[in-house]
Amino acid sequence: MQAKRSMFYLRTVFASLMRRRSRLLVALLSITIGATILSGLVTIFYDIPRQMGQEFRSYGANMVLLPKGESGTISPEQLEAVRAILPTDDVIGVAPYRYDTIAINDLPFIIAGTDFAGAQAASPFWGITGEWPSGRNQALIGREIANTFRLEPGESVVVSGTNSEGEPFEKTFSVAGIVQTGGQEETFVFISIDDYGAVVGGEVAFDIVEMSVTSSGAGLEELVTAIGQETEGVTAQLVRRVTQSEDTVLSKLQSLVYLVTIVVLMLTMICVATTMMAVVAERRREIGLRKALGATNGSVVLNFLGECLAMGFVGGALGSLLGFGLAQLVSLQVFNRTIDFPLAIVPLTIFSSLVITTLACLLPVRNATKIDPAIVLKGE
Amino acid sequence: MFIRMILGALFRQKGKMLMIALTVALGTSLASAMLNVMLDVGNKVNQELKTYGANINVLPQGALLLSDLYGVEQMPDSPDMYLSEEDMIKVKTIFWAHNIVDFTPHLDANATIDGGENTVKVTGTWFQKQLSLPTGEELETGIRQMRSWWAVTGEWLTDDDGGGALIGVAVAEQYGLAVGDEFTLDVQGSSRRFTVRGIVDAGDDEDAQIFIALATMQELTNKAGLISSFEVSALTTPDNDLARRATANPRSLSAREHETWYCTAYVSSICYQIDEVIPDGVAKAIRQVAESEGTILEKTQLLMLLITILSLLGAALGISNLISASVMDRSAEIGLLKALGAHDIPLSWLVLLEILLVGLVGGVVGYFAGLGFAQIIGQTVFGSSIAAAPMVIPLLSVLVMLVIIIGSFPSLRYLLSLRPAEVLHGR
Repeated sequence: MQAKRSMFYLRTVFASLMRRRSRLLVALLSITIGATILSGLVTIFYDIPRQMGQEFRSYGANMVLLPKGESGTISPEQLEAVRAILPTDDVIGVAPYRYDTIAINDLPFIIAGTDFAGAQAASPFWGITGEWPSGRNQALIGREIANTFRLEPGESVVVSGTNSEGEPFEKTFSVAGIVQTGGQEETFVFISIDDYGAVVGGEVAFDIVEMSVTSSGAGLEELVTAIGQETEGVTAQLVRRVTQSEDTVLSKLQSLVYLVTIVVLMLTMICVATTMMAVVAERRREIGLRKALGATNGSVVLNFLGECLAMGFVGGALGSLLGFGLAQLVSLQVFNRTIDFPLAIVPLTIFSSLVITTLACLLPVRNATKIDPAIVLKGE
Repeated sequence: MFIRMILGALFRQKGKMLMIALTVALGTSLASAMLNVMLDVGNKVNQELKTYGANINVLPQGALLLSDLYGVEQMPDSPDMYLSEEDMIKVKTIFWAHNIVDFTPHLDANATIDGGENTVKVTGTWFQKQLSLPTGEELETGIRQMRSWWAVTGEWLTDDDGGGALIGVAVAEQYGLAVGDEFTLDVQGSSRRFTVRGIVDAGDDEDAQIFIALATMQELTNKAGLISSFEVSALTTPDNDLARRATANPRSLSAREHETWYCTAYVSSICYQIDEVIPDGVAKAIRQVAESEGTILEKTQLLMLLITILSLLGAALGISNLISASVMDRSAEIGLLKALGAHDIPLSWLVLLEILLVGLVGGVVGYFAGLGFAQIIGQTVFGSSIAAAPMVIPLLSVLVMLVIIIGSFPSLRYLLSLRPAEVLHGR
């Protein structure tokens, strides 16, 4: 008996859905749109800090490593130990530097030995005329130096100084590119750390290491303490200008997207609800007829509820998929990166659309059931 | 008769028409809020990005940046190593003067503390200076605005405090100084006692510097009215191809391009204009700030644009959906009118005009509600109101009209294809 009744219930719900295809489509479309916007915006909202955090790395290094104690330098082994502490995915660039004074045409300048790939990643704002050095005996020179000696990429520059043993040296480098930053780097000559070892000598070690790490606020502070505790002879420092400002601006951007998301969601959900209400309200005659045939209020409400829940479920499921596509599209357009599918969004979207459709359904149905069937059927 | 029918329909179906008006109002408010926020978000974020400090540095033409470098001694003094303080104020007279938010002078020298051996860099600067410009404008500027990331223990210095100093944490540690302590500073032969008012944690090489008021520094070093450089914080437009070409070589532009470039607030054109008013200075864009600003700004604007399009689409679909639902709902009435001999065209007009009228009311209400939402967003996020862009109004009107017409079209066609007898029969 119970089985038969529930079969009948399902058949009524299904038949009613099929018979009214065009209206069903309207309602389903509106639920799907709502669910799409919900899941799309929420996905974007959750992904913004990560994506924007990456963009903020264009401001360059947010952490520097300085030597502590006797040696006065950081050895490659110490640098490796620090890298082991940091999550690999979060490190955007590591640029170690070793400095010495040199002379070009008897004018004093600074020569810096570095890892060019690391420097390029850690300081994306450097403006290079020409190319980044790729081989041995190539140098990147600051714009001030280039202007002073009228040097162009492809020409060569003679650098002189004293090496670590106190003997004078003279070495010719070909200028691969000219670097422009607006800061003190414009008076530097940059060469690879191998060339630096060959020319200036001494063992390989660094005076300072600049790091660009995607993490902000408390996360960065934790990394700094971890580095201080776990590695000997190295201290990490935050570049406050970059970290502090990033926290300020990022939190503003996040609250912007947060508010926008809330406003959009609220309005969209009300929109969905009104459409659903309109679709249900036009079936007053049907409700009247059912009541006239002896259906109780409870069974009418249950019937409609079943229909609404079915539509809410299908719309929510469709919407969560479409919404992910939308978020993916936005992410690709804006940040040129893909996002992972957040599984938690599916139940959330389906649940919200179920709640909204149910609310939007119950209100007009309850109103209709209160009315005398005769009046409804008469068409007043 | 026609008007009476429309009015009649409007009043008889109050509930339903209210629903349509409500939905249109919701959709329009969403669209108007998002459009207004999107159009203003560039300005707002640009303001926020000023927390990164100066994006332009102005130096005397002759000076290389050498004094900055790891204690390399400044070459002997010569007059072309300095700019005049008076000239600096002229940056507020350039074409893009309004975009110049802050500027701060620096006068640097090396000094020794309490007769010690090591030299420390001392900078004379403005902290929070009240300026009355020749243009009649009032301006408050100084390093306090330019270094939003400084954490100061103790107090900030004021510009008329001749005997106070801000010292970096590294200096404080090295010399064992705390807030309230006194020390003697020897600068180029003259010495004076200062009290530590505050200790600065800057997180870069400014930790190893001492900051005092500009006037005191000029007195100490005997350089009245001179400064060694100044920083400018300007609101700029992200660079495009034109700006990049201009930066590489301003002479490569045609007269027309030059004008466009000059009249756009690119960082390169602002630098160019500063060079024009300060003949013995060179304005340099600080790429770390200038370049990155552009990146962040572009990304944020694009993101907001896409979210706006998304919500416009949602609003449009929502409105047209409701309209098709409510037009279909009137099949009985339309069937009756057709049975009474009404033609298709006036019938369509009847339905359309009704909905347009209701939509108009909803649209007007929605527009203002949307302005309200935009203000809420502006006030909570940026603490300032969002400018209402006039172009939103025509854009919205066209959009809403189109959406209403497109939304009612399919259901109208469906209604007109009905046969009166069938409809009235109740199928």
